[in-house]
Amino acid sequence: MRDQGAALIPSFQRPASRVAIRRAESYEEDLGTLLYETLREFQLPVRGKTVLLKPNLVGFDPLGVMNTHPSVIAAARESFLRLGAAQVLIGDGPAMDRDTEGILESVRLREHVGGLKNVFVDLNTDDVKCVPLPTRASRLRELYLPKTALGVDFLVSMPKLKTHHWAGVTLSLKNMFGIVPGGCYGWPKNVLHWAGIDRAILDINAAARPDFAIVDGIVGMEGNGPIQGTPKRSNILILGDDPVAVDATCCRLMGLLPEKVKYLPRAGSFLGHINSEMIQQVGEDIPSTRSSFAVLPAFRHLVDEHSSFGRRAAQKTG
Amino acid sequence: MNSLDSEKSVSANESANAAFVSSVCVPLLRNQQNEDGGWGFHPQAESRVEPTCWALLELMQVESSARDRETVQRGLQYLRSTQLPDGSWPATPGEKNGCWVTSLACWALCREEHGPVARGLEWLCKDWPWDSSPWQRFLRGLTAERSISTQNDAYRGWGWTPRTSSWVEPTSFALLLFSEVPETVLPSGSRKRRQLAEAMLYDRMCPGGGWNCGNPRVYGVPGEPLVIPTVWALLALRKYANRVENQMSLDWLLRAVQNAQSLASLALARICIETYGKSWPLPETRLSPFYERHGFLTNVAVTAWACLAWNPRPRLFTSSGRGRA
Repeated sequence: MRDQGAALIPSFQRPASRVAIRRAESYEEDLGTLLYETLREFQLPVRGKTVLLKPNLVGFDPLGVMNTHPSVIAAARESFLRLGAAQVLIGDGPAMDRDTEGILESVRLREHVGGLKNVFVDLNTDDVKCVPLPTRASRLRELYLPKTALGVDFLVSMPKLKTHHWAGVTLSLKNMFGIVPGGCYGWPKNVLHWAGIDRAILDINAAARPDFAIVDGIVGMEGNGPIQGTPKRSNILILGDDPVAVDATCCRLMGLLPEKVKYLPRAGSFLGHINSEMIQQVGEDIPSTRSSFAVLPAFRHLVDEHSSFGRRAAQKTG
Repeated sequence: MNSLDSEKSVSANESANAAFVSSVCVPLLRNQQNEDGGWGFHPQAESRVEPTCWALLELMQVESSARDRETVQRGLQYLRSTQLPDGSWPATPGEKNGCWVTSLACWALCREEHGPVARGLEWLCKDWPWDSSPWQRFLRGLTAERSISTQNDAYRGWGWTPRTSSWVEPTSFALLLFSEVPETVLPSGSRKRRQLAEAMLYDRMCPGGGWNCGNPRVYGVPGEPLVIPTVWALLALRKYANRVENQMSLDWLLRAVQNAQSLASLALARICIETYGKSWPLPETRLSPFYERHGFLTNVAVTAWACLAWNPRPRLFTSSGRGRA
């Protein structure tokens, strides 16, 4: 069982976080080797453990821009198994459509992973446990959360690199909305919106903090994300041992200011690091891999106007 | 293949599916009942109200033996025992607040008894979503949020959970319940709720027909309909079958089901399409190979929907929309 209370105290202290940026030109590349080699550098404590990969599965996605790509999920699963994990599960609770099986088929996850029986867990309909929230960011005091997500040894958030029309960006922290079960809260999980998306993001991550994050940025989404935006190719994968640091790095890669994303500075005060001085960057550097993501006018304040990318993004958003 | 061969093949498929349902699916449902009388979403999972309701709605249709009747009675007792003091039902044991499953629990119980159902209906009629309250509408008028969507907040349905927004599926479930219970059991405020909810569903229809969870247009972009919300909305509005919105949405469903890749979507679409008096457009569908590929029987709700869709017996819904209780 994961230690629910660890590392959640507001005055947290942790060493510098590590975030790796890797180039991947397409989903047809040997992502298994790329992820395995990168994960090995992190020396993760997964040998003999149960790992849960939590991708972002939203719905029918013919352009491959909405969901975490199945080849990335399959490569991550293969890599954790090679690292000695006893079991690597994949689980998600899609928010807008209760037809999880239909979503899995439409993204062809079965083909990539090679069978989902005893591998995929529908977190929307999993058995649940009432978890008192250790933080008071929103007015939520407790949440029923899936026993599978609470019971694994190592939880990996695997979002897509996307903008979001309510939260600004949707990355590894926002991706954790997917563990909140539709079977308790419905489709969509509207109670989280009423609690305040930004605040609920903090509460959920404090209650079930991901141990690691792998962001699919090979093709992401800009503009009116997370569903109706425009494909955005960045050709990168971002990995890290601190989801806050990963999200802050992703923002910088998108030409956005992490300090301006409502929930990130607060997450940076008790969940992880957003200060770049506390993030040890490995692999590619940010300037050489940055590409500006267009945002909706309501989020224009997120754009880093000081970078040439930011100026271009600002022009695109009008 | 000539037309006679084709008809024979269709008939063979239908027979094979009916046999699969009665010999595999229904026994599985029976066997997955927990000690407490309820069903979980999956085998060996703890009992929850929603899967219990779907299993009961199916088993009440087929109960033929004393053992079946006992199974159903134990399931109904589970529902009675989980009703909260305010008349609602919670989604999960231990939860102190009721939610959308109240409509499903009342639906499953309403053919047996009216006491708990009347209390559930009272709760439903008092459960107003907050997004459409006058205060929220006033606040929204002052903010940029009014430009995000175009829906009419004067129409009010039901939320998934109390004190949230109206959504298509919980609103449809409540309307389906209202159409299933005798008029004498309905609370006095139900007529107004029904009218507002029906108007809300039509208002939330996607521009080309069909429904998603309840966002027909966001930032000016039309939302994509989905099979399952479309099914429930069409069933809830079936007494207006000839309205152009219903026909557009039914046409969308008939097209969409051709690409459906899950048994949940196929089964629910079949129930809806047949309720509207149309022929099932995918007579070649065979459940047995579908199961071998997908293993859908691990999901109690989906198994129950498959039974309700392919069992050869009176339909779950009458086309007119007045209950058969």
